[in-house]
Amino acid sequence: MNKKVKVQVTDLTKRFGDLLVLDKVSFEVYEGEFLCIVGPTGCGKTTFLNSLTHLYEPTSGKILFNGEEVNLEKHNIAYIFQEYSAMEWLTVRQNVRFGLEIKKDYKNIDRKVDEALELVGLTKFAGYYPKQLSASMLQRVVIARAFATHPELLLMDEPYGQLDINLRFKLEDEVVRLCKQTNTTVIFITHNIEEAVYLGDRILVLTNKPTSIKEIIMDELPHPRDIAAPEFVEMRNRITDLIKWW
Amino acid sequence: MRHNYGKIRVVLYGAGTFLVLLSLWQIAAMTSNSEIGFPTPVAVIGRFFHMLSNKVGSYTIWGHTLWSLSRVVIGYLLACVLGVVLGLTMGWFPYVKALFKPVFDLLRPIAPLAWIPLAILWFGIGEKYKYFLIFIAAFVPFTLNSYAGAVRVDRQLIGAARMLGASHSQVFFRIVVPSAVPSIFSGAQVALSNAWMTMLAAEMVRSSEGIGWLIIAGQGINDMTQMIAGMLAIGIVGFLLANGMRLLERRCLVWNNQGK
Repeated sequence: MNKKVKVQVTDLTKRFGDLLVLDKVSFEVYEGEFLCIVGPTGCGKTTFLNSLTHLYEPTSGKILFNGEEVNLEKHNIAYIFQEYSAMEWLTVRQNVRFGLEIKKDYKNIDRKVDEALELVGLTKFAGYYPKQLSASMLQRVVIARAFATHPELLLMDEPYGQLDINLRFKLEDEVVRLCKQTNTTVIFITHNIEEAVYLGDRILVLTNKPTSIKEIIMDELPHPRDIAAPEFVEMRNRITDLIKWW
Repeated sequence: MRHNYGKIRVVLYGAGTFLVLLSLWQIAAMTSNSEIGFPTPVAVIGRFFHMLSNKVGSYTIWGHTLWSLSRVVIGYLLACVLGVVLGLTMGWFPYVKALFKPVFDLLRPIAPLAWIPLAILWFGIGEKYKYFLIFIAAFVPFTLNSYAGAVRVDRQLIGAARMLGASHSQVFFRIVVPSAVPSIFSGAQVALSNAWMTMLAAEMVRSSEGIGWLIIAGQGINDMTQMIAGMLAIGIVGFLLANGMRLLERRCLVWNNQGK
């Protein structure tokens, strides 16, 4: 099967002074693929994502998006950070509108905002300010803002770390469903191996610093995945063995 | 209900302290044998109300207050515009910081009153030197707080906006500026109090109207009651200005008060 390469990373290297964080990382992500990246805590997963998006300038290496240099103003990329990044001075609705306004995407803007709010279950809270919301609601605002823009590439950096388990399952399922439906390419960073096996089409396992790729694992278990199924447990154990740091 | 009861109690405590101090003042003034004669609070309040409808110099106390306020408003607004623009741009654009921060850091410790002689030489003894002094007094807190607000903007929000494709100017106007607003309001409060105090000094140096003049004119004719009535006007207007600013802040920063 000929898959279109959406993101091509070649020899990505990042140094902070003498500290080598990323060491010649190369891989590609295919269109519509859900790629999970797992690695030991503190291995530089976030640095990896920030270098990928030029929020940190990589020391060397090349990153191509649709065969071009990444250009955040041109390419429709959304990033959901580990910490909440809701604008405190905007209501929930205005926060979700924000991304569309930045992209000057005013066509059906209210409908898109309503759909995104509905998706994360925040319709009733549209007029609230972030300071009135709980931690999990704040993260849902950010998820809604990202989805409202219908990104071509969605980067998620441990986005569900602060959410309670029920909501986490619900949003994980919703994200997979939505990404498959809209053919969105996703790079999802997590330290939760079970989450990676549950969500990913492929799982990229990183080594400890300096970070490089230890193994790329195909995850072809059928959706929706059963976390108690023997194949699921087997894959989880295999990855756990790969990233053992103790 | 309980909350209201707490509020009433706070007001009663404040009023109680106020009444005790006034009573002590009244007793001290009535029992004093000072030659100059220290006015009683009753006399001061009486004079204050008298000056509301009777001219002292060319104006009633309303007129003097309006003169003082008009000077403060002009100097303060000018400082607000220039200070906020300079502070935000210094905090966000490294080259603006490189250009202006060293000069600003050198000038800001100089007290506004130290500028009086120069200001009079430059602008004469009319209105302009007063505007200039008030401007200087308010400019520093406006600039400093706007600068701090821009510097402390949450990098996560900038990252989020950039990832959504925001240009540099969109990041500045849609993230940096609104993030800095609470800090700017803190500066506005300090600037207002500085401006109000400096206005009095400027009027006391050279003026023929305004509350500062009212006090200095009282000193000229040994009228302590007029002086203290003028001081009372300063306190009342200062109190109203500070509370007005707090009200404005609460209205403008609804999002910042939620959940508190």
